[in-house]
Amino acid sequence: MLRTVPGQQHAQAVKRSWNVVVFSVGGMKLAARTEDVGGVSPWTESIPVPSRTPFVQAMLKQDNHLMPVYDLAARLSRTLQGDPLLCLVARHLDGPMAICIDAGMPSLETVDATAIRPNGRGDIETLGSVTIGENDVAIVALQRLGRSRQDAVRS
Amino acid sequence: MLLETASFLVVRLGGSYMALPADGIRGVLTQAEAGNEHTVTAAGTVYRPVDLAQRLSVAADLSGLEMRIVLYSNGRSHGAIRVDQMVGLADVDRKDCLPLPPQFQRDERNWFGGMMLYQDQLVLMLNPSWALGEMDGVVPVSVGQAEQMVAANPGVVGGSC
Repeated sequence: MLRTVPGQQHAQAVKRSWNVVVFSVGGMKLAARTEDVGGVSPWTESIPVPSRTPFVQAMLKQDNHLMPVYDLAARLSRTLQGDPLLCLVARHLDGPMAICIDAGMPSLETVDATAIRPNGRGDIETLGSVTIGENDVAIVALQRLGRSRQDAVRS
Repeated sequence: MLLETASFLVVRLGGSYMALPADGIRGVLTQAEAGNEHTVTAAGTVYRPVDLAQRLSVAADLSGLEMRIVLYSNGRSHGAIRVDQMVGLADVDRKDCLPLPPQFQRDERNWFGGMMLYQDQLVLMLNPSWALGEMDGVVPVSVGQAEQMVAANPGVVGGSC
């Protein structure tokens, strides 16, 4: 009979759970894998950029670094809540991207991977959804946020 | 040989700062100097009006005292570009010219060759060919194509300047 050594057991346990950052946009609870989040900081005024790319129409300057802004609130037809608003940096496949989120400080949660359900919502790229507290929370695929939208626009 | 710096005229249009390569500038006029005609004739060259604000969907106030008309030519096309304000001339280290992030995917890739920071402001580098109307109907340069252009011209960071 095969036995699992303690280290392997731990590794399997880690694989079976996801660490997520739970945040909100216009009162809607959302989550993202912690490895997809580059940081959270106070929101600073963004700089408009003339653009025809849906929801990518501004840049944010942090220290001496510039990054595009993804208007997730507009995509979800939500109005951001609270003051001061926060900036969540998404580790997007194309490079860091700033997302303005509600003022409430995000929390860290560990969710069981088996509890993650496929998500049928077509309005945003997700990795599935999970129940956190009493909320059904979509896990946003920050790495490819906007990509399906682009594909849809192109086709 | 490629110079280490590039010169730009920095202008403001609405809430955006933009830059035009300085070598194409043929003059900067006030409204009084330009007259009331749509086209501007200077030194025998006719500059047709370029409504950048409308083409970029930018809300500009072109009635202010600081409005200027930039006479611009790339040798083939000549345009009179109205801007809210002339900010200044800038010599920019080519290494400080940044490509437009790949998240910008559509027409704006034709509009802007890149971006830079000037006096702590984000400045978008206008593509003169597009500004002068030479690229109407051209499919936007894809991110992949832009990367190939950079690989072919390693001295030009992001193909920006």
